[in-house]
Amino acid sequence: MSVRATEITSLLALEFRLDMRQRHALGGLLLYVVSAVYVCYLAVQKLVDVPVWNALFWIILLFAAFNALSRSFMREDGGRQLYLYSLVDPRSVILARTAYNGLVMVVLSFLSLCFYILFLGDGALAKAELGQFILVTLLGGIGFAAVLTLISALAARAGNGLGLMAILGFPVVLPMLLTLMRASRNALDGLPWEVNDRYVLWLLAIDALTVALAWLLYPYLWRD
Amino acid sequence: MRTKVASLFFLFLLSALPAGSFAQEAAPAWVEETMFSSGKMTTVVIVVTAVLVGLGVWMFAMDMKLRKLERRLKK
Amino acid sequence: MRHWWWKVLCVLLLVHTAVAGLYIPLNPGLVHVSRNSLPPERTSISLTGYNTHFASCSSGNNAWLESGTYRYCLGTAKAVSETRVDLNSAAPPAAKDGMWTVVVENDVDGMLRLQNALFVKGSGVNGSDQPCPALVPMNSSAFMFHKGFPNRSILNETIRNLFFHVPMWFSMITLMAIAFVFSIKHLRSGSLDHDLAASVAVNVSLLFGTLGIVTGSIWARATWGGWWTSDTKLNGSALTLLMYLAYVILRGSVPDAHKRARLAAVYNIFAFMLMLVFIMVLPRITDSLHPGNGGNPAFSQYDLDNALRAVFYPACLGWILLGIWTYNLRLRYGRLNALLDENESR
Repeated sequence: MSVRATEITSLLALEFRLDMRQRHALGGLLLYVVSAVYVCYLAVQKLVDVPVWNALFWIILLFAAFNALSRSFMREDGGRQLYLYSLVDPRSVILARTAYNGLVMVVLSFLSLCFYILFLGDGALAKAELGQFILVTLLGGIGFAAVLTLISALAARAGNGLGLMAILGFPVVLPMLLTLMRASRNALDGLPWEVNDRYVLWLLAIDALTVALAWLLYPYLWRD
Repeated sequence: MRTKVASLFFLFLLSALPAGSFAQEAAPAWVEETMFSSGKMTTVVIVVTAVLVGLGVWMFAMDMKLRKLERRLKK
Repeated sequence: MRHWWWKVLCVLLLVHTAVAGLYIPLNPGLVHVSRNSLPPERTSISLTGYNTHFASCSSGNNAWLESGTYRYCLGTAKAVSETRVDLNSAAPPAAKDGMWTVVVENDVDGMLRLQNALFVKGSGVNGSDQPCPALVPMNSSAFMFHKGFPNRSILNETIRNLFFHVPMWFSMITLMAIAFVFSIKHLRSGSLDHDLAASVAVNVSLLFGTLGIVTGSIWARATWGGWWTSDTKLNGSALTLLMYLAYVILRGSVPDAHKRARLAAVYNIFAFMLMLVFIMVLPRITDSLHPGNGGNPAFSQYDLDNALRAVFYPACLGWILLGIWTYNLRLRYGRLNALLDENESR
């Protein structure tokens, strides 16, 4: 177990270094989010209506997640992948990558939240339970990463990039998206924790389930 | 071919998802008349027919597949 | 015998479903009141029944208003035909303003209610009851009629769709579970036959899912007034179909058989688990028009009805067996095809 833990941390570090080497990709991601928010701003100016504010925010995040995670397995070419998997357990790879993607998504969601508030106003946050909202956003970022990392691996293995990723990912991510929207709307409406706790528990359960499934299924995905 | 049909159906379903917003509009009179007459029994008839037609279409598709298989067997 | 007893059972169950499900009559019920409101002055109203015996009953027909425990007599209604009675009555002065349930009673049909049928413009507070004069005791042999299906307002005859729409979903879920099991088996064994079984099960489950959506849409039109409503179960089933159509597309986009089998199996397991979560989560998140969710009369309420239960359970088993049977046929075709491919490539 301890071996695996060191394996995962070193894989995480590797992911980080690889991404630092390709900083333009991360920058592109950020630019994508900013332009999406800006388009929304041009379309609606200031938003005060809570349901619309909430829905728009999650839709932007969803597309950002698709964009960010689709490249997760794309950069792998045959030779380096083989080399990587001969060194470590594939399960460590998927766990490390899910964790890394989770981190990226969390950072990305908070950055896009900042831009979103900057452009579209914080009118919807007037009554909000901020702690709950931030917790939901955190779980959302991790959840998108958990679901879409495996899907991205699948799409990359099928050799049919973005199109397939959207088709496969959209239906499986929806249960989580709907729960997220509901939980974050409750938080924005300022409902007490006793109302919202079951949605957060559901989110945690879905996150745990998808990570467990990824851990179980990935070893069948990487070999040819 | 099947992938194409599936993608078309996929698109159709996608387009149907937000359709709830205009679901409550008034329907043409003939719909009301045919479907609501005699205790709405017509609806039951349409539903049963739909099931049978669906199964029938499946049987035809299966028939065609089997015919192709037979042709290959003869070769 | 061993191989086809369940097919015989399937046919028998479906025959039972068709005959009993379409032949057993609906219980008598009130379906329509000619006015929406009852003013304080005398007005004529006609009440329309379904499968009722307004004219041929020996007791005459009493009509009254009901709300909670309060009852106000509207008088004896004149039977125009078996299914129509006319009343000439005014809002009882002691009745409170609001929606009242209309009740008609005779010795053959018993008590027939139409919930919240009339808006009564009364005085303001409910005064003391004004019960109708007692009827002759219930004619018990005629009352046998009540062994039919419950006649609920809005649903009426369409309650029979319970046997032709709901089991489609059970059939679909059963086939998806079969596909799930074979996907796991494939990952353990790597055998292409297991993959074939899984993909065929998904194909046939899509057939039943489509039938479920089409029949549901027709039923929704007749009861809720829209071909598609933004309802939990509708969205859930549409998404389930989307997931499995995506499975078909995934299969179509990978040329290599072994790779295709493995990717499809992984996706299928993932999708099935998330679909289960979806089915569990969704009704708790949104309100629903569907029976059993969000403050709607639950189907367990109908299921409690023995007449319905005696047809519904066999219907479910029958349709599930039909699903397995079609799957079986399609699988045998697929196996023959695979065998032929193998021989040709040799």
